[in-house]
Amino acid sequence: MYVAVKGGERAINNAHRLLAEQRRGDKDVSEIQTDQIEQQLSLSVTRVMAEGSLYDRDLAALAIKQARGDLIEAIFLMRAYRTTLPRFAFSNPTKTAEMDVSRRISATFKDLPGGQILGPTFDYTHRLLDFTLMANGENPADAPSAENPVDDHMPRVLDDILNYEGLIQDEPTPVDEDAPVADLTREPVKFPAGRDLRLQNLSRGDEGFILALGYSTQRGYANSHAFVGEIRYGTVSVEIEPEELGFPIDIGDIELTECETVNKFKGSKTKLPQFTRGYGLVFGQNERKSISMALVDRAMRADEMGEQIMGPAQDSEFVMEHSDNVQSTGFVEHIKLPHYVDFQGELELVRRMRTEVEARLAKAEADNSNPQTEAAE
Amino acid sequence: MEQTVNQMDDTASAYNFAYLDEQTKRMIRRALLKAVAIPGYQVPFAGREMPMPYGWGTGGVQVTAAVIGPQDTLKVIDQGADDTTNAVSIRQFFAKTANVATTEKTADASIIQTRHRIPERELREDQILVYQVPIPEPLRFLEPRETETRKMHALEEYGLMHVKLYEDIARHGHIATTYAYPVMVDDRYVMDPSPTPKFDNPKMDNMAALQLFGAGREKRIYALPPYTKVRSLDFEDHPFEVQSWDDECGMCGARDSYLDEVILDDKGNRMFVCSDTDYCTERQEAGHRGPQHHDQPLGSTKSSPNSEKAAE
Amino acid sequence: MTLNAQTSDLLPGFDHAAFDSNAVFRVLLDAMSRPGRIYDLPVHITAPDGLNASATATLLAMADMDTTIWLSPGCATKAATAHLKFHCGSPITTNVAKADFAVARCDEDLSFITELSVGNAEYPDQSATLILLVDDVSESTEMICRGPGIKDTHNLAVAGLTPAFHAWRAENHHLFPCGVDVIFVTDTKIAALSRTTRIEVK
Repeated sequence: MYVAVKGGERAINNAHRLLAEQRRGDKDVSEIQTDQIEQQLSLSVTRVMAEGSLYDRDLAALAIKQARGDLIEAIFLMRAYRTTLPRFAFSNPTKTAEMDVSRRISATFKDLPGGQILGPTFDYTHRLLDFTLMANGENPADAPSAENPVDDHMPRVLDDILNYEGLIQDEPTPVDEDAPVADLTREPVKFPAGRDLRLQNLSRGDEGFILALGYSTQRGYANSHAFVGEIRYGTVSVEIEPEELGFPIDIGDIELTECETVNKFKGSKTKLPQFTRGYGLVFGQNERKSISMALVDRAMRADEMGEQIMGPAQDSEFVMEHSDNVQSTGFVEHIKLPHYVDFQGELELVRRMRTEVEARLAKAEADNSNPQTEAAE
Repeated sequence: MEQTVNQMDDTASAYNFAYLDEQTKRMIRRALLKAVAIPGYQVPFAGREMPMPYGWGTGGVQVTAAVIGPQDTLKVIDQGADDTTNAVSIRQFFAKTANVATTEKTADASIIQTRHRIPERELREDQILVYQVPIPEPLRFLEPRETETRKMHALEEYGLMHVKLYEDIARHGHIATTYAYPVMVDDRYVMDPSPTPKFDNPKMDNMAALQLFGAGREKRIYALPPYTKVRSLDFEDHPFEVQSWDDECGMCGARDSYLDEVILDDKGNRMFVCSDTDYCTERQEAGHRGPQHHDQPLGSTKSSPNSEKAAE
Repeated sequence: MTLNAQTSDLLPGFDHAAFDSNAVFRVLLDAMSRPGRIYDLPVHITAPDGLNASATATLLAMADMDTTIWLSPGCATKAATAHLKFHCGSPITTNVAKADFAVARCDEDLSFITELSVGNAEYPDQSATLILLVDDVSESTEMICRGPGIKDTHNLAVAGLTPAFHAWRAENHHLFPCGVDVIFVTDTKIAALSRTTRIEVK
């Protein structure tokens, strides 16, 4: 006897209870606090802020806890919260040239004004599991402070050094300085998209996706060989300029990583050759993302540079439509929702076609086994 | 009934009526007015992130949130059923955030949000049907680029679609599209009806109710005003036809409704039931009985005619 | 939003922003989905000098900082401009080609309508909506409307429409999918003509 399955509501409630129980884990282990996540899983926190497009460390820590450490789920929580927030103002462009730098390196010059500042980095750690961290916990000695204070003035490699000789392309200045910067969270994206939209899309795009695309440009799926002109990581202040005040006010500091790449040069017999550039900017310390972003940004400038499109990273429509992990995870995972109505349609068709083919085969076989018919044909 | 699904119990009051802020609603409403003025044309809109995943009805939810008012009665179905988990979840979202009445009865609803089905019962002028749409672009699988498909719509260049359908006929002897079967709207735009089975396509034509389509991830809204001509694409020698079953609904005996197949065991036995749960319930309440209904005397449950199929 | 001395003269907007704008939108959605049918304005609202109640309600429900409004000389009173700036936050333009919503009185010089944006073949939705203040709308057979949203025919009569308007409307229909949609507003009633509507003028 068939009884239709009911009780979706109870099942959902129970699923939520189970989820909460699993999130808590073994109750003999002390519960993780959001301030611990905020302090000790800080790179997860900044990734969630970057791809969640919302700079709030406490909320990001909460999202990570609520999502059981699933960062894409945490990014989704941040986005869903962000979308309900009213928009009070747009900031002035942040001045990364005035960044309070914690790390700054250039791969194009051995030494340069302002110096190379290694700062906190995994780069030269040996990737050996540190079992003492497990056995004894953390108890690091205070890091020594620098012998010389960091220069206040930290010239930018591309704008202040290479551009001094005219060796690198100028960033095109907008036709209308006061024209609003595009915002894909407020307006539907239209193609071909401007560089402002592309950069916004990359900055909040999935780290793994942008990484893979950046990587692909290094393996021949684009040809715009890049040097890291400069990476800088540190804090910058954010300013807004309310209409009624008419002057900017500082509303706080954010951490940013900025990467500028120096790419394959352009020029001709009559035009002075110049290097081209790619740009990456992301919340928090994330060099992997900012370098990848700069590579993909440069690749996506193919049209502007008159380059032939030969790889997916150069195809801005492809990149932009697939970079958002909240969109892609939703749609990829939605195929676990019931589709039995559609499937029924396919089943009906496949069965009908099978019946037809079987009938045809049966007829052919009958014809074959009947030589008379054959002879008559 | 137990506590509600979501964790919004404490936080619902922190959000605006029907969740979306008024500015977002206005943006969606403007898109909706354009959509009804250009039937079948996909209006781009700045879809917002919703508290449910993309691909799970965010477009339909945004359209419903922009349209719904305190006087409305909402019905939500997925695969034709009110009790599928995602339908339950969306219905509760609106019960919570808009405090509106909800119903499972098609006849009592003023707004019906649906995924993959059109109710069997004929809809009225005072009803609105909101479809959840995953891929709004009917040409997308022929041409993945938006820049290209937009040109094709602008130029009414639909030859590729006909070629695709005809290739099906050449290869399979049939048009192999069984759901999301493309339609021509008012002789101008080719439109994706969302992944409803083609069985439902004829219901869209000249429907008395307003039909609204929301694609959240793809950020498109489109519409069919009431009494709009909607024709399924076909060929003179291969006219459009809908699915039919040799079976009836095991519960209500309906032969005119879309049937879901229910697997009864691992020996190939199966039965069919109406996909539209309200339609089936209403028929049963009116005394209709199918062969597998529990009111039937024991032993009358006939096994599926699976083995007889080949005899067709 | 800057509050200045004028604020005290401002008329109130909707009593309940969410419910009232929803009610007005639903009427507009019905009207645009069923061209030629006449609907009652569902809310009470006081109109500033230069507009009428239905026009005011329509703009408050549909316009905001993301939409540009153009007001005809007859509508562009100080009171109307201040009202829309305050309640909608919309930029008011004097360039009719930039308007998302163009508002005019039916008895004014309507020659501007040919300059309204009609969208383009790829984005026909990027077109203006014309809100026309009229004295009366009725179901007399002045215009016999056919097309999407209309079962057989809808009859609509709008007081004061000129032959020039009808000629423009017919041309507008032929631009489809581009074109301008029109909303007729009296103090208490709303009717619309979508660009799809075919009209036989009697």
